Amino acid sequence: MINKTLFAREVRSSYKLLLIFLAVLALYGSMIVVMFDPKLGDSLNLMAESMPQLFAAFGMLDVGATLTQFIVNYLYGFLLIAFPLVFIVLLSNRLVARYVDRGSMAYLLATPNRRGRLARTQALVLLLACLCMVLWMTGLCWALSSALFPGELDTGRFLAVNAALYALLIFLSGVCFCASCCCNDTRWSCGIGAGAGIAFLLIQMISQAGEKFEGLKYIDPLTLFAPKELVAGESWPIWGALALAVSGLALMGAGIVAFSRRDLPV
Amino acid sequence: MSRMIEAEKLTKDYGGGRGVFDLSFAVEKGEVMGFLGPNGAGKTTTIRQMMGFIRPDQGSVRIGGRDCFAHAAQIQRELGYLPGEPAFMEDMTGEAFLHFLAKMKGISDFGRARELMERFELDGSARIKRMSKGTKQKVAIVAAFMGGPELLILDEPTSGLDPLMQNRFIDLVLGEKQRGATILMSSHIFEEVERTCDRTVIIREGRIAAVERLEKLKKTKRKLFSVQFERPQDAAAFAASWQKGARQQGDTVQAAVTGSPDAFLKAVSAYSVRDIDLHRETLEELFLHFYGGEANDQ
Repeated sequence: MINKTLFAREVRSSYKLLLIFLAVLALYGSMIVVMFDPKLGDSLNLMAESMPQLFAAFGMLDVGATLTQFIVNYLYGFLLIAFPLVFIVLLSNRLVARYVDRGSMAYLLATPNRRGRLARTQALVLLLACLCMVLWMTGLCWALSSALFPGELDTGRFLAVNAALYALLIFLSGVCFCASCCCNDTRWSCGIGAGAGIAFLLIQMISQAGEKFEGLKYIDPLTLFAPKELVAGESWPIWGALALAVSGLALMGAGIVAFSRRDLPV
Repeated sequence: MSRMIEAEKLTKDYGGGRGVFDLSFAVEKGEVMGFLGPNGAGKTTTIRQMMGFIRPDQGSVRIGGRDCFAHAAQIQRELGYLPGEPAFMEDMTGEAFLHFLAKMKGISDFGRARELMERFELDGSARIKRMSKGTKQKVAIVAAFMGGPELLILDEPTSGLDPLMQNRFIDLVLGEKQRGATILMSSHIFEEVERTCDRTVIIREGRIAAVERLEKLKKTKRKLFSVQFERPQDAAAFAASWQKGARQQGDTVQAAVTGSPDAFLKAVSAYSVRDIDLHRETLEELFLHFYGGEANDQ
């Protein structure tokens, strides 16, 4: 199904990129958790009330009283979408389009491996890197919360939120990986992946900022990732996450098929 | 003998006259075939179709009876490829790359690769990013030959190599030929083709111009002599007696000689000669002469 040699090479050449992102996320994540203070929440709420639209745009309007709500609002509304998005754009591009653009794909194709097998290997690298990211943040937030605020974190729902986050990252990976498989040029590969991701984020921010544009959320796949509602105990976000994961995997599959069939200028 | 590579009406049209059109030719097992033609004639486009990188618009190309696009992966088991412009994983060292490729190709014995690295004096410890063009070319040569494949497809294999290494390359190709490998090789260097190839396919503007045994090409190969005589009147007299396209300019006569130079030298020796220069025709000049008609024949 996959090629282990290629997999090992990709892990070796990409782990540094992943470590950088893990470090940055750890910095933000720990800051947010440490900042939690039921009383501080009140003053933050005051601040949010003074600039409701700005806070709303980043999904931080209802800060919430519990630690779980606080973490989910501040991290899962924007940061944990935007940072992984950048990582996914970069890594997807490296995994396929860059080899084609530089011409070194010729050497991968000059081995007894079907194109589908090469592409599946690369897709797996991307999926596992995203999984690392989610597990890292889950572990970090959980460990910090248990150390600083024992018993405050609603572990079950927090895990559900992280599972949903992974589903979202699978979807974003699908978009970027598909672009990477279809493009001969890294500029296009990055451009389409980043462009789509940024568009999703902007639409989300605009639709959250005011009622006038609320309807926009129905055209934005990010709406299917609803961490706040998940924490509140609603069940539809589970189906939303499922839809994200399935369509992400379908996009990856489509990219792999396109890559297997098309002419490669190498 | 059975056929190793078989192209049948192979066509890939990139528009504007670029591409290859209606190519039909075959390379027999154990044969070394030169693949010649001016820049932009479509050599690399043909090779890409053999490698399964691109799909023909029409016609087909088969290796060992298998379609090159549909069965690319199986074909690669017994194929060594040297790209026209090798691009590696630049972040790796030369040796790490070769190890990586050997594993990808399922080559368990790295001994042959080591032997080749020594033969071409390749130091594989540097990062490929930092290597000179010639060194990268050596990496590409080792990569193509290290598996001891049945078939080698080589696109301008010695570009960037110095004459010493070019000679070692020719010896390597001759060794592989003896081992029984089939080789298709595009080249601009006459000596390389002359010393290694049994036959040549010549393409021009995407179409086959000729498939020839090398002896025939050799026969038409011309030597351009430039003879400087002691006295200008000798030059004039010689030019008049020799004719056959001899051109006189002051005390110097230029003449193109096909085949054996014996008669020419004997005729020249009747006069006192100050200097003599020999210019060997390049492959490109030879094509023009061979297929461009008399227009270039002055």
